[in-house]
Amino acid sequence: MEKYEKLEKVGEGTYGKVYKAQDKATGQLVALKKTRLEMDEEGIPPTALREISLLQMLSRSIYVVRLLDVEHVDKNGKPLLYLVFEYLDTDLKKFVDSHRKGPNPRPLPPSVIQSFLYQLCKGVAHCHSHGVLHRDLKPQNLLVDKEKGILKIADLGLGRTFTIPLKSYTHEIVTLWYRAPEVLLGTTHYSTGVDMWSVGCIFAEMVRRQALFPGDSELQQLLHIFRLLGTPTEEQWPGVSSLRDWHEYPQWKPQILARAVPTLEPEGVDLLLKMLQYNPANRISAKAAMEHPYFDGLDKSQF
Amino acid sequence: MASSLLFDLENPLTSADEEQHPFSDSIAALFAAESDHMSPIAGGHLDLSARRDAVSLILQAQFSCNLDPSVAYLAINYVDRFLSKRQIPSDKPWVVRLLSISCLSIASKMKKTDLFLTDFQREEGFIFDAKTIRRMELLVLGALDWRMRSITPFSFLPFFLSFFSPAQPPLLHALKARASRILFKAQNEIKMLEFKPSVIAAAALLSAAHELFPIQFASFRSAMSSCEFVNKEKLGECCNAVGDVAMDGCDSTFEMVSSSNTPVTVLGRHCSSSESERTVGSSSDDHDLKKRRISELRGALRLS
Ligand SMILES: Nc1ncnc2c1ncn2[C@@H]1O[C@H](COP(=O)(O)OP(=O)(O)OP(=O)(O)O)[C@@H](O)[C@H]1O
Ligand SMILES: [Mg+2]
Repeated sequence: MEKYEKLEKVGEGTYGKVYKAQDKATGQLVALKKTRLEMDEEGIPPTALREISLLQMLSRSIYVVRLLDVEHVDKNGKPLLYLVFEYLDTDLKKFVDSHRKGPNPRPLPPSVIQSFLYQLCKGVAHCHSHGVLHRDLKPQNLLVDKEKGILKIADLGLGRTFTIPLKSYTHEIVTLWYRAPEVLLGTTHYSTGVDMWSVGCIFAEMVRRQALFPGDSELQQLLHIFRLLGTPTEEQWPGVSSLRDWHEYPQWKPQILARAVPTLEPEGVDLLLKMLQYNPANRISAKAAMEHPYFDGLDKSQF
Repeated sequence: MASSLLFDLENPLTSADEEQHPFSDSIAALFAAESDHMSPIAGGHLDLSARRDAVSLILQAQFSCNLDPSVAYLAINYVDRFLSKRQIPSDKPWVVRLLSISCLSIASKMKKTDLFLTDFQREEGFIFDAKTIRRMELLVLGALDWRMRSITPFSFLPFFLSFFSPAQPPLLHALKARASRILFKAQNEIKMLEFKPSVIAAAALLSAAHELFPIQFASFRSAMSSCEFVNKEKLGECCNAVGDVAMDGCDSTFEMVSSSNTPVTVLGRHCSSSESERTVGSSSDDHDLKKRRISELRGALRLS
């Protein structure tokens, strides 16, 4: 760790603080992230080994934040592992916030939304082609290089082998806003659709500059979704009423989605609708999304 | 992540269930990434004697600790990649032992098998303490950039098997089993390090098919060589090399099946160590027959 000089704290993660730091030898800016992975007598723990090697494999894509190095430090005789990532100047949450509040509120340019969404789909397609689900896609986990207009997926793989923790180490509640309905309803079978639901929510949020479904409990989260998209039915989504946490809910009729994203062009609304399908099997895949007409005007060769 | 990220040689990219992950995407990703997992000898400074010592120690450990062959296979893969990047001081032969033990330790963690090397080390007359092994593990991980989900020839077997017809499970199973044995053997050959994992996989399957299913062989070969990811020329070269390995040793399946299309060949029952050319030919007759058989196999594997 002597290789890096800590500059400032840039974020709070589930397992600890994330620091901006500088490689003393090269001057390169990096992000240092503490992990919950501890070294023990047996050397590197198997879970850490498997998770980090997975992360390393995925960070071949430029739409995934690159893992540069793994460092270990002795903390009271307990070696801790730090991950060293390439540094990006902001995340999508801060980026969207800066367009909503502050000195100069303005919508995100449609071309930026289109480009970010395309890069997001590309990164997600990459993960899915490697058999990896992110399961916690949200604006805070998408890093942005404002100058270059690049978006990258962060926070992949670590610690999610089984479940996403409900509370972070600071006891902050982990956000539910981007969580797919099947997850909220207690499905045991996760599929790539869980990530595509989140992508849809993030897409809408870039357009609206505020969250599409800002629930503060699992029930509230479901009700937010049902109020906009209608309460799901067995016809629409076979098996929904047998999911573990299904109850009888008020019967809402679907609203017109375009009203929730009034500034979005019709092709965009069509794509959003395909991402927000109730039945995970009908939800558009990341790869198919990249071919959607919404991206027709985009110069894809740059990606 | 749906499961525990257990590493499987045949499936380095994922351990989640197949249905969610379209084959075609994953396979393209595999081909794109395989070069990162090679240990080139040309231009590199792979220390051949260190390699030989490490391989024999690892195989010894596999034998005496009754390890799954895939753990040893993975460990040797790490050794190769490490040696192609770092030099081992020649005045410190114990470093090779430490490297071998550490690579075994990492491989067993990736495969989630328990490994108790203390007894083995004692038998071999050395013992490293936990802290030393831990430090070496980190050195290996760093040198390999933590890319421990090695892409090996095994990763490509399922894909290339899909070119075989008829696609009957018992046939595919036999083919894969034979090809796997060839791959385990081929790993000992230094010259195999020149080839991409995918090419070695294809060559091993062709060689296995030639032995087991001579009738289907030609169509298998042409289906495989029409695959967009395969460089025919390299495959031809690799088939030669694999041919040597496959022929080298006592294999009863070979004798049985080969009688169908050639005059009965009785191969010497010796298992030479497959280090280089066969030197242990039992009788000159045997030797000639064997030579003829090899050149035949080479001819058959030559790609049009
Ligand atoms: N490479 C980076 N460059 C710049 N900032 C970063 C980088 N990585 C993380 N951050 C900042 O730190 C925050 C937390 O990081 P990250 O999401 O990776 O941590 P986490 O512990 O997994 O948190 P959680 O699981 O709650 O999402 C990010 O939202 C971002 O603002
Ligand atoms: Mg995060």
